[in-house]
Amino acid sequence: MTFDFSPVLTYLPTLIQGIGITLLIGVIVALFSVAGGLLVAVISIYTNKVISWPLRAFIWLFMTTPLLLQLYFLYFGLGELILIPAIVVGILGLGFHYMAYNADIFIATIRSVSDGQYEASRSLGFGHGATLFNIILPQALIRAVPQLGNNLILMVKDTSVLSAIGVAELVYASQYAISVSFRPFEFFIVIALIYYAINILMELGQAWLERQTAFRR
Amino acid sequence: MVEVTPLLVKAAWVTIDISVRAIVFGFLVASALVFFRSVKFTPVRWFSRAYVSVVRGTPYFVQLLLIFYGGPTIGLDLDPFTCGVVVGAFNIGAYMSEAIRGAIESVDKGQSEASRSLGLGRLATMVNVVLPQAAGLMIRSIGVLAIVLIKNSSLVSIISVVELTYQAQRLIGSTYKPLEIFAVSALMYIVIIYAVMGIVELAYRRTTRFNAL
Repeated sequence: MTFDFSPVLTYLPTLIQGIGITLLIGVIVALFSVAGGLLVAVISIYTNKVISWPLRAFIWLFMTTPLLLQLYFLYFGLGELILIPAIVVGILGLGFHYMAYNADIFIATIRSVSDGQYEASRSLGFGHGATLFNIILPQALIRAVPQLGNNLILMVKDTSVLSAIGVAELVYASQYAISVSFRPFEFFIVIALIYYAINILMELGQAWLERQTAFRR
Repeated sequence: MVEVTPLLVKAAWVTIDISVRAIVFGFLVASALVFFRSVKFTPVRWFSRAYVSVVRGTPYFVQLLLIFYGGPTIGLDLDPFTCGVVVGAFNIGAYMSEAIRGAIESVDKGQSEASRSLGLGRLATMVNVVLPQAAGLMIRSIGVLAIVLIKNSSLVSIISVVELTYQAQRLIGSTYKPLEIFAVSALMYIVIIYAVMGIVELAYRRTTRFNAL
């Protein structure tokens, strides 16, 4: 049992490029899934059954099936219709998956605020839209912070699954280096540590954000 | 559609098989980790904490690739199915140890103090007083983790275990009917997950039926 980490150093630029793409995907999916999740939640709460029912079905379907299965479906399903790069499929797949989870959280937090305050706000003369944007949503967003943070941390770890459909993020980027150096153990240890470092930073960020928003609840 | 369903049903059994084994072994791993947290010798406690932190802080997918492709370097040459079970167990074990600890800590401290002052030993207090009251919460959180594990078990398709997602991907490739294959395999995951939810709910009711509220 001998370890040789020198190939990892040789291929460091490749790994760094992979980290860059992983972080890029993470940021895009974070924005996409939080904004989309909020939109889906608001629409599914404040519209009629014809619109809200399919949205609830969408949330339910994405939460009860594995991410990888959804990615394969999108990859082969969309691939049949149009020529589309793997990274776009990956961002859409991961984005829709976490959009469903985030929408589920927003539905719960919007309801928790809305229960008492919707009528109070309306009876004070605010309109439906003003009540939603000035009273309900700001509070619902702040209440959602802890769980959204958890979801985003899980999401960044799940970007590794995108390598299965050929997205050139960290895991996929190191595959060539692994196949020529025959040092899978060393490479995957380093990759795991990189994810661990990202994870710790995100947990610190989450703790900071929770402290910042705690007094506003 | 009719001709692919038996293949997917067979693959779904592999998903169930691998998940059940991982959950059972994962419970043993979790129990050991919880026990390590209470050992007097400090390095053992640190090991337990560090293990949980690292496993929860790294992707399951990377853990799987590390043990499957990197395992032979440290003398761990596992076949894909065994590798899936082992990595699944050691992964869910970390999460489960936190769930078990949380459930034990949720039991009021006065319960164990009262039990100790009535003359019961530490082990008897844990087994007869604390655990029965923690069991309900424990079962529900383990149920949630089991569902996550079942969905994560799709990742062992990457190391060529012929389970549900592997078979679905292969059939999508050979039949060019992504929607139908996705619908059938998604339905199977949904059936498995709802079965787990049902079992968890039954077990929850059974363990909490004498709980005072």
